[in-house]
Formats: sequence, C-alpha cells, structure tokens
Amino acid sequence: MSAIRRMTPEDLNAVLGIEAASFGAPWTRALFEDELARENDRVWLVAGDDDALVGFGGIMLAPDGAHIMDLAVTPEARRLGVARGLMLHLAREAADRGVARMTLEVGAGNTAALALYASLGFTATGLRPRYYDDTGEDAVIMWADTARPAAILAAERGEDLVLAIESSCDETAASVMRGGTEILSSVVATQVDFHARFGGVVPEIASRKHTEAIVGVIDEALERAGVTLVDLDALAITYGPGLIGALVVGVAYAKGLALGTGLPLVGVNHLEGHIFASKLADPELEPPLIALVVSGGHTSLVHVPAWGEYHTLGSTLDDAAGEAFDKVAKLVGIGYPGGPAISRLAEQGNPAAIPFPRAMLHSGDYDFSLSGLKTAVITYVRKEEAAGRTIHLPDLAASFQAAVIDVQVAKAVRAATEYDVRHFCLGGGVAANTALREALRSALADNGVRLSVPPFSLCTDNAAMIAAAAHFRLTRGAFLELNAEATASLPLGV
Amino acid sequence: MRHEIISPTEATTYRAGELIADLLAPGDVVSLSGDLGAGKTCLVKGVSAGLGVIENVTSPTFNIMLEHHGRLELFHFDLYRLERAEQLEDIDFYGTTEAGGVSFIEWGERFPEALPEDHLSVDILIGDDDSRLIVLSPSGPRASALAEDWSAAVLSDVGA
Repeated sequence: MSAIRRMTPEDLNAVLGIEAASFGAPWTRALFEDELARENDRVWLVAGDDDALVGFGGIMLAPDGAHIMDLAVTPEARRLGVARGLMLHLAREAADRGVARMTLEVGAGNTAALALYASLGFTATGLRPRYYDDTGEDAVIMWADTARPAAILAAERGEDLVLAIESSCDETAASVMRGGTEILSSVVATQVDFHARFGGVVPEIASRKHTEAIVGVIDEALERAGVTLVDLDALAITYGPGLIGALVVGVAYAKGLALGTGLPLVGVNHLEGHIFASKLADPELEPPLIALVVSGGHTSLVHVPAWGEYHTLGSTLDDAAGEAFDKVAKLVGIGYPGGPAISRLAEQGNPAAIPFPRAMLHSGDYDFSLSGLKTAVITYVRKEEAAGRTIHLPDLAASFQAAVIDVQVAKAVRAATEYDVRHFCLGGGVAANTALREALRSALADNGVRLSVPPFSLCTDNAAMIAAAAHFRLTRGAFLELNAEATASLPLGV
Repeated sequence: MRHEIISPTEATTYRAGELIADLLAPGDVVSLSGDLGAGKTCLVKGVSAGLGVIENVTSPTFNIMLEHHGRLELFHFDLYRLERAEQLEDIDFYGTTEAGGVSFIEWGERFPEALPEDHLSVDILIGDDDSRLIVLSPSGPRASALAEDWSAAVLSDVGA
C-alpha cells in the first residue's frame, strides 16, 4: 500500500493531473483550494511518494455523516489497493472525529468501485437518476458505519482488538484478541475458577443457562484482557452451525452489543473457528491444507485451498465421532463424556481383539458413517452377555477406537494425497484423543504431510478461535448485518 | 389398537419409513423409542427420503432438533440429552411440534406428558436374530388411522 498523508497546497498540480485523467468534468484548482482552506470540516488525503502521487480523496464532515467529496487514482495505479487504502484512512479520520456514518455516490455502471465499497462495508441505500451531468449515468448512494472501514484498517495493521462470543453448543465463551494472534483473554464458562466465582453456573443445552452465563463471561473476558468496550474495534459471533437455542442467545446478545456500542459485527462459522484454532496455535500452518474437525457434533473433512475458502469433502452420514464415543461409553456404563473414558480404557486393551466394521473405508468418497459401528458394538455386547461371557472392556474400547481411527486416518491420507497438500490440521474435542492424533501424525508423515493439532484448550469449543477467524474476515471486510439470524445448519464457506 | 411391523433388516426399517412418509399429514407427531442402535434414526432417514428431502439426515443427538424441508417440514428431535421437561421450552419443542410440519421424536418416551394427546408411539425392539419388531401404539383417532394405514402399507409392500 502507498504511503498516505494529508494533502497540502503543494500537491495540487499532481492532484489536478490525476483528477483530469479520471473524470470528464474535473474539479478546478479554485475548488480544491477552497476545500483545503476549510480545515474544520474537511479531510483531504493523498497517496504515493512526494514526487509521484498516485491518488487522493477527501471527505466533508456534515451533521449526518462524512461525505466522500472526491476520490481518484492514476490510471497506472488502479487495482493496486490505492483507493481502498485512501477510503480506509478517510474512514479512520472520520471515526476519530466521532463521525459514525459515511456516504458516497458512485456511478451505477462502475462495477469495480461498487465492489470495492461493498468490501469496505458500504451498502447501497438509494439511487440518484441521471446524476452525472456529463454522461447522464445514475448514481448509487451508499452508506457505511465508519467503524467498519476503521476496523478493517486496524486488522490490516494487525492492531485490531476483537471481542468474540461463542455459544453454539454447551459452552458459553468469550475472548479478547489483538491482531488475530495475541489472546488477551479466553474465558469458557465451564472453567473451574469461573464456577467458583459465579456460583457454579454449569452451562448446558438450555438457552437459559447461556443467558445466565453470557454477561458474566463477557465481563470476565474484558476484565482479564484489561480493556473496555470503547477500546474494541469489532465484535465477533458464532452464528452457526450448532444448537439453535444456544446460538440465538449469543447472536442476540452480540447484535444488541453492536447496536449499543456502534461496533461492527463479524459473523463466524463454528467449523471455520476450529480450523483457525490450528492457525492460532501453529503460525507455520499454511494453505493449501486439509482440515479434519471431529467433535461431539461434527465430523467434517474440509479442503482449504486458501484462507477463507472451504470445500467440505465429506462429513458424517449419521453420528458424529464424539457422539459414537459417548454412546458406546454409555452402553458399557463407563461414564460421560465418553471420549476420555474410552481412550483411557483403550490404552490397556488390544485394538485387534474384536473385528468391528470399518464403515465406508472403501466407499470411494470422504463421507463417514459411525452408526453401523455403534450398532456392531451393541450387538457384540448383547451376544456376549447372552452367552454369559464377561466383556473385556479394555479390548472392547481399544477395538472400537481402532475402528473409528482407521477410517478417519485412511480418508485423511487420501484427501491429503488427492489434493496434494503439505499441511493438515485436526480440530474439535475428539482431537484430544491421543491415539487418533498419533495415528494421523504418523500416517501423514509417511506421505510427507505435516500435522497441526492445537492444544486441548483450543480444540474444545472456545471463543479465541472465533476471534482469530474474525480477524481474517475483517481484513476481507466481511461483516454480519444486524438482521442476520443464527443458523443451525450453516454451511461452511458462506 | 396396537399394530406390529416385523422388519428383518435395516433396509426394511428404512423402507417402512418411506411408506409412512406417504401417509403423513401436517401436525402428525411420532414418538420413537428403542435401545441405542435399534434403528430410530434409520427409520427417520426413510421418512425423510419418502418426503422428498434432498439433504442427508444425520443424528440429531448433538443438536437436539434438526429441520428438513420436503413435501412437509420434517422436525427430527432427539431428547436423549435433555434432563428435565422444562428444557423442552428452551428448544421451543411445543411451538415446533405445532408448527404444521411432522415431528419424529427420538427418546420421546422420556417426557410422555410433553407429547400431544394425539400421537403415535413407535417402539423398535431388537430381536435375537438382528431383526426388529416395530410396535405401534397410537393415542387418539388420527394416530390410530395412521398406525392402521401404515401397517397395511407395509404388509402390501412385501414382495413388491
């Protein structure tokens, strides 16, 4: 991006040259001189080096908001982000002066400019028919909150302070993050110290429990980070996929907070969050990559050719991996949650003791099915009990776990090979399973693929991963409108 | 009146689901019970296919309720993770079952008082030879008609 600074009278020769090259009815020198003299309610900026300006732009600070007066870039320097940089800085200047809204007109046929402004958070609010005298073209009127481009600029500089909220399932979580990498706080409502402090609130599926916890969790996240709402650049919220009754609590709260504070809101997909958890823990992780998200509610294999681009290669056709662990654990009475209980037992068992089916191993696609395995375990247990034999639980656990892992690993390796990636990341609560991690790590390494697994606190649901994904979305100017709704089956890549 | 459907395989359980789909009317509520692995979700997969739902039906255990769009709206509940009847309010259970779609409720027998007066209870029992006995116990006139038509449809479908 070019250097951007205040316009001075010495810049006018260059500015007039750019103006003439850009518009059929250019502004005159007298007009620019008049503008520069109005220091109270005008801001004019130039981009480029002192001896070679490439663009300029200016705003008028009016009672209803900041009006873009003019914006132009030399033909040679177009499509290099100069106009974008000027707009971001103009918005920052307006926001710093307490101006909350910003508006502009743009030719209805200028698709490149329309796309640029949309990417900065502008939305079209009306049309001025035949606005341009020289061409008779209509003008589109666009408005944006200055906080949006100001937040984008902060994100591009790696200085954005984001408060993220996650309530897609059982956990109520909030996190404050700077620059998409520095976790200033990450609070999950099931944390022991939080319980002690807030009287043992145990969030569960009940929205009511999220409602009870959310204020305390957010206050705690802000306090631990040492910031207040006015310090923030943006808010982020998980708006799907997940349990609808749980999602709506976070989404409604985040919208209210955005409305009350004027902060821009970024919507994050929960699975995208799990992928960014790996990026957060492993800065060397780079696309193209394959991500496997396995948890109580998800089993998804995703191809990520570039950050922000997701192609779901396959997912479970019935039960999620974590769910299968829980149900088998319940069947044999070894407690909830099932994952840790089974993997502990499995350590002492023989994974080859019982030949459970490897469903979909040779299906030729990337989908998973765990319902049949669950049924096979149930059938085995029933037959053994009917025959009066005692079930060797460690062998059962090890054999069941091996059947799950074999299929996950085989599909993971095949995806990594087919899409020719060197990086693979694992996320979700089931990533805590050591046997899965090690089997995956070793099989991928044999194929020259490096595995990233975040620490456990970032594998299970948390808001830091949502903040990390939100930072990326901010740099792309992807905001969530306040009329957006929580979406239980939100697809990845929207 | 109680009806019974014998389902020798997973495929016939799925087929039974397809057959009841043709008979469903807005507002129908079907409660499903049976041990883990009995085939409750398998039956609902058949219902979904019969209603013309395009997407794959996955287990709703985690999400508690999944919604599918077919000839009729299909609300697929799994109350396995709920502990108290008050939690049904939190998931808008009553509003959803009365929303004009059809509701299939796995583990619905955990909260019998929450089911509407007229509903069909379906219990899937696991036989010794992996076959399933699907027992239909209707409450109310609509559910009785549905149970009768469904068992008749399954009988006439044999060998078809």
